[in-house]
Amino acid sequence: MNRIENRLNQNINQQEKSFVTYITAGLPDLETTKSLLKAQEEAGIDVIELGIPFSDPIADGPVIQEASFEAIKNGVTLKKIFQMMKGLREEGLSVAIVFMMYYNTVIHYGIKEFVKKCHEVGVDGLIIPDLPFEEQDELQQELGNSDETILIQLVSPISKERIPMILEHARGFVYCVSSMGVTGQSADFHKEVMDYLKTVKKHSKIPVMMGFGIREAKDVAPMKEIIDGAIVGSHFIKLMKSHNYDPAVAMDYVKTFKQELNS
Amino acid sequence: MNQKAYYGKFGGQYVSESLMNTLNEVDAAFEDAIADPKFMEQFHYYLKQYVGRETPLYFAERLSEKYHTKIYLKREDLNHTGAHKINNVIGQIMLAKRMGKTKVIAETGAGQHGVATATGAALFGMECTVYMGKEDIERQKLNVMRMEMLGAKVVSVESGSNTLKDATNEAIRTWAKVAEDTFYIIGSAVGPYPYPKMVKFFQSVISIEAKKQHFEAEGKLPDAVIACVGGGSNSIGMFADFIDEPEVKLIGVEAAGKGIETGEHASAMAMGNPGVLHGMKSYLLQDDDGNVQLAHSISAGLDYPGVGPEHAYLKDTKRAEYVSVTDAEAMDALMELTQLEGIIPAIESAHAMAYVFKYAKQMRKDQSIIVCLSGRGDKDVNTIADYLAGKGYMN
Repeated sequence: MNRIENRLNQNINQQEKSFVTYITAGLPDLETTKSLLKAQEEAGIDVIELGIPFSDPIADGPVIQEASFEAIKNGVTLKKIFQMMKGLREEGLSVAIVFMMYYNTVIHYGIKEFVKKCHEVGVDGLIIPDLPFEEQDELQQELGNSDETILIQLVSPISKERIPMILEHARGFVYCVSSMGVTGQSADFHKEVMDYLKTVKKHSKIPVMMGFGIREAKDVAPMKEIIDGAIVGSHFIKLMKSHNYDPAVAMDYVKTFKQELNS
Repeated sequence: MNQKAYYGKFGGQYVSESLMNTLNEVDAAFEDAIADPKFMEQFHYYLKQYVGRETPLYFAERLSEKYHTKIYLKREDLNHTGAHKINNVIGQIMLAKRMGKTKVIAETGAGQHGVATATGAALFGMECTVYMGKEDIERQKLNVMRMEMLGAKVVSVESGSNTLKDATNEAIRTWAKVAEDTFYIIGSAVGPYPYPKMVKFFQSVISIEAKKQHFEAEGKLPDAVIACVGGGSNSIGMFADFIDEPEVKLIGVEAAGKGIETGEHASAMAMGNPGVLHGMKSYLLQDDDGNVQLAHSISAGLDYPGVGPEHAYLKDTKRAEYVSVTDAEAMDALMELTQLEGIIPAIESAHAMAYVFKYAKQMRKDQSIIVCLSGRGDKDVNTIADYLAGKGYMN
């Protein structure tokens, strides 16, 4: 079974909400990324989204854009991130890892080679925000029905009638973009967010996770009955930056969030 | 896969899920509009009365004499606002209005598309925001002022390389948030489907007129049609009505900047590999790690790392040929056209002229070339002066 599916389903069986964070790989360097991943695993994180830096991140807000540019400036590349992943798995990291990346990075690496490498180093899932459902055939064909690496589907409040189509064969979890548009906006959620989440939940056979604009567990308290968990990106990066990427702060944040989410 | 979004293996809709319904709405509204005779009548009314079409197909006597072949200039530089960009803006802004949108946004590099959009927005009473890289705002102050005079808000984009590519990213990001009341007017033949199709449709007026005008002058089709290619809007418009005339040679001219071998160029077709940027799959300049490489050209309008997907397809199917000319060659051609014909072209268009002069060597006296003179050079006077003074130029 896929690591993401394994963990999230286990949480559902135990009536526990799941928690996912996002951090840009190589911010400020790959060694730091390694210790942040390890610290979060220890703190009980369910899935970690690892951002692969790209020069033109059109689905990201200013915080992640800046993180991405900084990582590129520091010489971080997909090849080096694969190496880091290999090392981490060898050192026993077993938490589910999802690459959040742009499609050009995949095409440039070569789709076949990319998928092979993901299997080899233990990348459990992919989130590619500029690869909507209609454009996924090429990559899905390569991923096949394998449990090793799965493609995560995103839905947005304006997806509406597209939701059943997107979710029909979706795996892992559904990533619900909560506020319209790009990452890193404040938590004043889209006016129809509750109806939207209910619609997604109704069509989904897999866990429903909400992302975009979340800082603390209380931000998702109003929709806790509907969703299966939350994803924090920009806020986590800001927090890490302001604490000099201290693994202890990451650990504390994850522990607190998970606890509050499940209280 | 949405087959109609593709030109061979190029094109598509590589955007976030939050834009997919919006793109479908735009596509449906566009198809509906162009099938409506009233919409088309109104479009042609504005092209004639406001833009000043049709533009002349001018027989360049002195150049023809010098190069021993017939050289015709399609005078898009005579359009209102000084370039072909306005043709497409009128079409898209009428579509925006028809869809009930009250605001438009646009990206701009040199500022020509921004000025054209601000102009259209003033004409149709719409709120207009133009995204422009911080670097470009500094080098194109005059166009920033024109846009502001026309009532547009110019937003300085400070991200990545602070140029057109980043302004486009920001416009796409913004659109994903505000699509409910806002239409995104893309100026080049790029972006997610249906944009390349729309831009081609609205710009095809260039070749439809030119074909007819050439028939009137010569009683036959031209032997070659030449246009400059950045994203590819004037060239796709110049090619459109000739694509199905196999005896007409189609040539797109990219910017070789300081020379392809220096790495400082904007020749996506010559040196790029297939990639994904700004919602489309096409040829794209990239570094070893798959990050988008910055383009370089003395002409801001050609300074783009990608190219429209239909051009990528025309190249692969060999229907069109793509070549490139350097900054220096373009500037020589600019001066030659200025001094022999009394026409100061935009530096973009001078790239096409430069290749005309090279290509003419293989032409006979009774053969003819149409070159798209996509814009006038007024906006470039500072750059030209700096270049002539040997001071070099920015970028």
